[in-house]
Amino acid sequence: MNPVATLGATGRGLAGALGALGRFVGFTGQALGWMLRPPFHLREVAAQLVQIGWLSLPVVGMTALFTGAALALQIFAGSARYGAEFAVPSITAIGMVRELGPVLGGLMVAARVASSIAAEIGTMKVSEQLDALKTLAVEPMQFLTVPRLVAATLAMPVLVAVGDSIGILGGYAVGVTRLGFDGPTYLRNTLDFLEFWDIASGLVKGAVFGFLVALSGCYFGMNSGRGAQGVGEATKSAVVLASVLILASNYLLTEAFFSA
Amino acid sequence: MIRAEGLHKAFGQKTVLRGVSFEVPKGQSLVVIGGSGTGKSVLLKCLLGLERADSGEVALAGLKNPTPHAVAPHIGMLFQGAALFDSLPVWQNVAFRLMRGTGRMGRVEARALAVEKLARVGLGPEVADLFPAELSGGMQKRVGLARAIAGDPPVLFFDEPTAGLDPIMSAVINALIRGIVTEMGATALTITHDMRTVRDVADRVAMLHEGRFHWQGPTAEAFSSDDPVLRQFTEGRTEGPIPTLR
Repeated sequence: MNPVATLGATGRGLAGALGALGRFVGFTGQALGWMLRPPFHLREVAAQLVQIGWLSLPVVGMTALFTGAALALQIFAGSARYGAEFAVPSITAIGMVRELGPVLGGLMVAARVASSIAAEIGTMKVSEQLDALKTLAVEPMQFLTVPRLVAATLAMPVLVAVGDSIGILGGYAVGVTRLGFDGPTYLRNTLDFLEFWDIASGLVKGAVFGFLVALSGCYFGMNSGRGAQGVGEATKSAVVLASVLILASNYLLTEAFFSA
Repeated sequence: MIRAEGLHKAFGQKTVLRGVSFEVPKGQSLVVIGGSGTGKSVLLKCLLGLERADSGEVALAGLKNPTPHAVAPHIGMLFQGAALFDSLPVWQNVAFRLMRGTGRMGRVEARALAVEKLARVGLGPEVADLFPAELSGGMQKRVGLARAIAGDPPVLFFDEPTAGLDPIMSAVINALIRGIVTEMGATALTITHDMRTVRDVADRVAMLHEGRFHWQGPTAEAFSSDDPVLRQFTEGRTEGPIPTLR
């Protein structure tokens, strides 16, 4: 292969990636700027709290329940090798509240919400509804993006808290019914072990993930291409970016919160 | 009331507008015709500030090169596909502008006004609580028209108002537009390639061809002109100076 051509293609790819990153960062800055400018569309925020928060409860709850149950089984199997089965309640709890609750909850919300936001806004763009908003003196960033960002950032910590509780409940159910733990002892071990920051760090992660999910959905929706293919591409890209951002930011937040 | 001077607009290598100039005096209705892909919609977006022209000047309701936000109180716009907001019931679509910004109306007052505007376009109050997806194409156009006139703006824009409608519904929409424009004393600009709309709605006609206004004049003259480009278009002939493969 011609090395000059390879170098050229690499350069173009890098320039394209940097351009895309710049546009995304620019969009984020714009969105944050619009968050501070009145009017504030509170009715829209309330509607999005229902869409993003309330309607995501079943999927987040189911995910947490099964994850907590499977986690308890795995920890039991692993800790049994060292005769440390007593650690199942505490490790299940810390695993749920610090990592699996926020990350899996975030990924499920990314699949449900980022796709929905990108498809909705993308369709609005294709059908000229965004232009219609502008001719009615309403800025789409302010009317569509800001309420979704605010609602997702507020709703996600609540979803994480609910998911954490249900996940711990799943571990408890497996612990008591399948692994032979005494119910009150399991609960006491869980509550005694957890510290405030274990829970709070997960909620902070949830808020960050919620913001990133809505941001990805809005960015790709606002920049959707024409037609069904354009909206489909925007939807797919929104879910992929939201998922990657959740996993990457989870690592960075974990480093920031827990590295010595 | 609407004035454009030397508008140029290109997208990459493709030049769409090559110096469009015209004026629509107060109370007059101009219909812009032209083939598909000749830049009619781009012209409309440049006038409304939805697209920024590369060069040239727009004056609309006394504002020079206005932003959409600045010009919004002075205009009403009917989009080609109506562009109604799916998540809102019909009455909130109609009253959307009135319920926001400074001097906004309360919900009760806004709903009453929306029902009044719906009646003006021939829709009963039972339509007010339906959602856009529950309406036919013709009804959606009527709702879009009601939204455009909700604030009694002095300037109205219509983008392909009869696109996708049957001939009878097209005639109904054309009659509504003509009636409303006359009744409100509004200045109107319509883009279309429907000759029925030209006859029903226009005081003057302008033909956009190769990025410029190739012909402008009174409606009656548009249909009796000897200009070969205009004649080919108004008569819908495949032979002539306008290429059929565009």
